Amino acid sequence: MATKHLLLLLVLTLGTPRSWAASTVGYQDNKPLISQLKELAREHKKTLRATKVCDTPGKNEVWRVELGVGTEEERAKRPALLLVAGIEGNDLAGTAIAVAWIERLATNYASDEKVRKLLDSTTIHVWPRVNPDGAKAYFTKPQRETTTNDQPVDDDHDGLVDEDGPDDLDGNGVITSMRVEDPDGEFIIDPQEPRLLLKADRLKGERGAWKLLTEGRDNDGDNEWNEDAIGGVNFNRNFPYGFKFFASGSGKHQVSEVETRALADFVIAHPEIGIVFTFGATDNLAQTPKGEAPKRPPTALHEDDVAWYRELGKAWRDGLGLKKELNGVTEPGTFSDWMYFHRGRLSLAARAWSPALQVELAKTKPKDEKPKDDAAKKDDEAKPEKPDGEKKPAEKNKEADTRNEEERSFLKWADENAKESFAPWKDFSHSDFPGKKVQIGGFIPFARTLPPEKILGDLQEKQGRFLIDLTGKLPRIGVRKVEVKHLGESVYDVTVHIENTGYLPTALAQGSLSREILPTRVVLKSEVKSLLSGTKSVALNSIAPGESKEARWVVLAKGLKQLDIEVISTLGGRLQQRIELKEEAK
Amino acid sequence: MRQTRLTLSAVGIASLFAVTAGAQVSDRKPKADDPAEHAYPALGSSTPYKVKVEWNRFYDHAGLGSILARIHKEFPKLTKLYSLGKSVEGRDMWCLEVSSEKGDAKRKPGMYIDGNIHGNEVQGGEAVAYTAWYLCHQYGRLDKVTELLDRSVFYLIPTINPDGRDRWFHSAQSAHSSRTGVKPVDNDRDGVADEDDVDDLDNDGSITTMRIKDPNGRWKPHPQFPEFLMVEAPVDQPGEYTLLGSEGLDNDGDGAVNEDAVGGYDMNRNWAWDWQPTYLQFGAHEYPFSLPETRALSEFIDTRRNIAALQTYHNAGGMILRAPGREGGVMRGGDERVHQLIAQRGEKMLPFYRSMVVWKDLYTVWGGEFDWTYGALGIVSLSNELWSMRNLDRSAGSPSAEDSAAFLKYVLLSDGVVKWHSYTHPTFGPIEIGGTKKQWSRTPPSFLLEEECHRNMAFTLYHADQMPLLRINEVLMEKIDDGLFKVVVTVENSRLIPTHTDQDVTHHINAPDIISLKGEKVKVISAGRMTDPYFKKVEAVERRPERVEVPNIPGMGTARVQFVVSGSGRYTVTVDSVKGGLLEATQSLP
Repeated sequence: MATKHLLLLLVLTLGTPRSWAASTVGYQDNKPLISQLKELAREHKKTLRATKVCDTPGKNEVWRVELGVGTEEERAKRPALLLVAGIEGNDLAGTAIAVAWIERLATNYASDEKVRKLLDSTTIHVWPRVNPDGAKAYFTKPQRETTTNDQPVDDDHDGLVDEDGPDDLDGNGVITSMRVEDPDGEFIIDPQEPRLLLKADRLKGERGAWKLLTEGRDNDGDNEWNEDAIGGVNFNRNFPYGFKFFASGSGKHQVSEVETRALADFVIAHPEIGIVFTFGATDNLAQTPKGEAPKRPPTALHEDDVAWYRELGKAWRDGLGLKKELNGVTEPGTFSDWMYFHRGRLSLAARAWSPALQVELAKTKPKDEKPKDDAAKKDDEAKPEKPDGEKKPAEKNKEADTRNEEERSFLKWADENAKESFAPWKDFSHSDFPGKKVQIGGFIPFARTLPPEKILGDLQEKQGRFLIDLTGKLPRIGVRKVEVKHLGESVYDVTVHIENTGYLPTALAQGSLSREILPTRVVLKSEVKSLLSGTKSVALNSIAPGESKEARWVVLAKGLKQLDIEVISTLGGRLQQRIELKEEAK
Repeated sequence: MRQTRLTLSAVGIASLFAVTAGAQVSDRKPKADDPAEHAYPALGSSTPYKVKVEWNRFYDHAGLGSILARIHKEFPKLTKLYSLGKSVEGRDMWCLEVSSEKGDAKRKPGMYIDGNIHGNEVQGGEAVAYTAWYLCHQYGRLDKVTELLDRSVFYLIPTINPDGRDRWFHSAQSAHSSRTGVKPVDNDRDGVADEDDVDDLDNDGSITTMRIKDPNGRWKPHPQFPEFLMVEAPVDQPGEYTLLGSEGLDNDGDGAVNEDAVGGYDMNRNWAWDWQPTYLQFGAHEYPFSLPETRALSEFIDTRRNIAALQTYHNAGGMILRAPGREGGVMRGGDERVHQLIAQRGEKMLPFYRSMVVWKDLYTVWGGEFDWTYGALGIVSLSNELWSMRNLDRSAGSPSAEDSAAFLKYVLLSDGVVKWHSYTHPTFGPIEIGGTKKQWSRTPPSFLLEEECHRNMAFTLYHADQMPLLRINEVLMEKIDDGLFKVVVTVENSRLIPTHTDQDVTHHINAPDIISLKGEKVKVISAGRMTDPYFKKVEAVERRPERVEVPNIPGMGTARVQFVVSGSGRYTVTVDSVKGGLLEATQSLP
């Protein structure tokens, strides 16, 4: 499988014209991924660097990529964006999108004006796969889906480590599910879709008939099935904000893993990163996250920051063709939450793809028939007024059993578009359950996490465009105007107006509150004879987009023809300015 | 009255006469031997010492290292000496592991003791080193020490902030400075780190206070101790001085003095449990265990699950502190009781010390060391704040400023006083500098330091003594049928600390205690925990009857397991407890 992908990539990079929608990056094993990154770095020395970050417990390598021009020092002074993918082991789609984006940026630098401008003025950091151990499972037989690395963890606290993982009982090369007919089970067969199970609802008079387990044996004889598989820690549960001790996959404490520590140390070493985008199971773009008046510790976004998330969420959904909000997902200890709540950066997170997204997109009619947003709304509003006792849609929904609706819709979509996603249930004689009906089947690993490769290209195109636009939204400082008044006797009154020409403020409300984003500093570099008003370094609080703030000095500048100043913004870049001093009459 | 005066003058004359009668004095001198050869032991730490240490002074990092190295050299069978890792500046965090050769140290209950997490809180270092020194010298002499080293292991780390410690000794500091480590932090958010620390303007090795004459000032010299003590002027009267804070310059020219010192964080806010970032908790640093010292320590503790008790020394105030560090934090009922009982013993052993809960009785701490060792690892953890000023005049209340000043003046003969003296400051102009030296107020004077070390050590030995002490109390055999027997094993814990604290049991932090039965010709048919010995209530296990998991063997309590066995011959009962050790008993079926 791995070799096939590698060959495909080589063909694509060598043989196709370098245009935006040209190449699709597939699901790659770690070695070909690293080769590709190295190859890109070789080909695009001016714009791209690939660096090894660390070795993992599973003996895989984590790599990162930096895009931008100029020396390291110059790049570190520019506004920067960080894209993180594959932080959850099963996020191979995020990795593929990230790599495709890297490739497109690098290959289009020479030909595309927008890309060139972006990379000339911005630094882009990409960690395409933070968790190669977890990704490895995709390429390993039997294939199982995992979010964790290979760090040995005693998941079931019995003093034994990694002693009861899943087993490929039917030998089909993938770990699926196992359902056991048992009146003690919590599940029933979904009456509308017999391939799916539903939790029995006792209030409806339903009685459980099936147990649902992962395919495997009780290897350690503790009456639990597959409760202590290889690994591990899910990095997206291992960061400080909201971290949960003792939760499954969270790690023994915050930032406990070599990989998460490398990522944490990296963002600490790069305070200029103003926007973070993370692919993973959590999502604050599909649905606008909640805000609150600041609490200590915080439990939701700072109320003054919500609007930025709302607008960017809308842009993300528009880019994908989503017509409505889906359900957002939060989890404790995510990297993206840490970057916002503790480190004060605009931090977006989304799934690269999801069944919910796919089901929603599939609902959208083909382009020519597609009704406009407003029209659809009107249509909905009109319905309840229809006469003839026709049932209102709301009432209809009440009667219909909506449980499992999304799963059923997705299975329907999969039947039509990715048939191999579901393994039909087959009877199996299981020695752990003598005399009981046991069936093995269900969604195959990754079926609900990764889109079929044939639609990856479209996602790479759309998500890539959003990321380009997003990168353009970083704050950016400039000098709006300089006022110099000669007051006489070489005494000057100098005012510099610092503006923000970007889309985002130089610090979000949480950036200022958390004290992680330093004030913009306007530093008088020239040695003046006497500073009569003002301080050598003037600190300016967050500058909103379009706003300007001033630094003012009254100086005795005998013998000086100009003053040099430097403006340093944590997220909005740096600049030097020379101010001419002219002894004009007042 | 007259008579008395006469008598006095008579004595005066007599003594005058005695002095003049010098001819009676001999020139003989005693032999200038080593007095130690003629010493007679007082009770306490007495024995001929293999390692001589003066316990009335402080030692820097290298000094503590050499004390440990000498102890290790003299007691190679009782000790292991190793480094837990390096500090920011590359100093080793030395650990002396002390245990007798009896049994495998890794399987003995462990008592962990560290000191000096705050660089300026130095005397924890001496208290830990004293503990190592005492245990080694008293092993084989005092029964309790022998018992402790035979059945448990001590992990003794005198300083876990060696950079801060050495800075406190070897650079000018105050009693309260150099609490931090030395990793640079931009405390004043100007983009530069550590650029404006205090300055020893008068080069006396201590950072004291600056004052400036000011007719509008609110301070005056104290009438009784004008040479170093200041008092606030009464509200309706003018003062004479304004206090300008600690000795220092505006090194970076930003209009503030001493606003970004070296380091600028708090290692005792960098632990993972209830950690919050710097804007919510000063000193938290970047993320839990972001510092090399805390990282190494956490890994050391986390990988030694036999550690059942922990003490981390601070100064000052005379407190025996326990979790939680924040309101609503975790301290489970049964665990609270155990911590409290041990601390109450401490209050009796340590005059002027009070047993306290951090958030309730002191202040809120997010991310403290013992919050993590208790919360995440379930270890019975206490922290003593060494030395109390109440010890100056041995009264229940804190001494007044005047009482403290009087102690300095009359008992210490002004050692520790820096008299006001003039200085020309580049920003403030003519000022005066004075106050008290850094050793004053948070560390004991020389002659009380040894007492502080001994009493606190004795308390940690009590704490260690309360670690689970397991014994297979009895193995009762009862014939049920031909070739079929009931074997009831009772395991007793005769100390206060359970094998698993409530926190441990709740979160399955450590593997349960495993009581198993094995014999070549013995088959275990059924087994289970006996929850009631009188009505013989048994919770039979579903699988693997030869191996029964017991969640906990409570303090001063027992666990019972019933095995139903068939066969014949010898069998061995094994108790495998992470914090209680590994025990075996062998018997035979008839």
